[in-house]
Amino acid sequence: MSSRDLEGYRSGQPAQLADVLERVLDKGIVIAGDIQIHLLDIELLTVKIRLLIASADKAREMGIDWWQNDPFLSGQNGRKSLDDRLRALEEKAGLPTSEDE
Amino acid sequence: MSAEAVPREDGPGWYLYGVVAADAAVDGKDDLLLVLEGDVAGVTSRVSLDEFDASVLPERLGDAAWLEEKIRMHEQVLEAVLESASVVPCRFCTVYRTEEELRRFLAERGGDLSAALSRVAGRVELGVKAFVDRERFTTGGAVRNDTIRELAEHASKVEGGRAYLEMRRLEQLVTEELIRFKEEVAGNLHARLTAAADDGVQLNLQRPEVTGREEEMLFNGSYLVADRARFEQEVGELAAEYRDSGVELELTGPWPPYNFVPAELGVP
Repeated sequence: MSSRDLEGYRSGQPAQLADVLERVLDKGIVIAGDIQIHLLDIELLTVKIRLLIASADKAREMGIDWWQNDPFLSGQNGRKSLDDRLRALEEKAGLPTSEDE
Repeated sequence: MSAEAVPREDGPGWYLYGVVAADAAVDGKDDLLLVLEGDVAGVTSRVSLDEFDASVLPERLGDAAWLEEKIRMHEQVLEAVLESASVVPCRFCTVYRTEEELRRFLAERGGDLSAALSRVAGRVELGVKAFVDRERFTTGGAVRNDTIRELAEHASKVEGGRAYLEMRRLEQLVTEELIRFKEEVAGNLHARLTAAADDGVQLNLQRPEVTGREEEMLFNGSYLVADRARFEQEVGELAAEYRDSGVELELTGPWPPYNFVPAELGVP
């Protein structure tokens, strides 16, 4: 978008996943009541995504697409260590720790 | 309305992307279903509860490919709707087990949903991020600290251990100056952008691994905008003002107004 470039700021690029995540996972209306997925699950999800993002540098160093191939998100071992990190964060934040699923 | 009237046989769940006015002209994709109830309509699609049931969700969340696909789908559906209608977006994974439960929500909360819709009607959400290049900041016009200027000049001329110490000191001073500068710029950007919009919020800063940029993010805001031309002009002016200090602005959107709808609806 050359006309935009003249304005001196970047725009018109494809949405970055991080920008999508901070909206789709954190914002928008939350409906309680007769709903299949409960608020608690969604907040848990948000925490996990944050952990995922925090671990991105390692994957990047390894030269892989962190989102597609992040070890935290593939296989049972990754699942376990993600839970451990989640629990550690919750303890640090003084929150009740999540149960093993 | 071009969305289908008859449910497809995808599954028993109802995924609710967002809510539009009942008379909105939604150029929906083929598999979108509009569920009309009073003054509002839910933008939905049928989903399998094998995928979205609370009992299997934790495992699904461990599947990066699944997660990214579904999150992007959620966003793309809402962006497509936004092109032709104002929409109140729902958070990811808003899934009803039955049509009856979905309709009951739309009926009981119709008033709140209509109010939320009228607030965002004719408006979009635009994001503005700002990044600062440390090197350009150090040599740029924003550094009002004379010691930094002198050190920067001197350190390039001396050698050996003294040069190392001076560089360390310079680094430290720049870091302190940058912290002060970032606070000042973030405050000013948010005030000016909010004045050019209906409303604004500051979002969390993102780490460099996430932004994919070497420069440090110093500001992340999002705005509810009716007059896009005016807002974009303000972004352009701010970009020009801060360019010499090593600051670059980035505009994103238009987004569905995620940041400008009530956080919770349906809680009795």
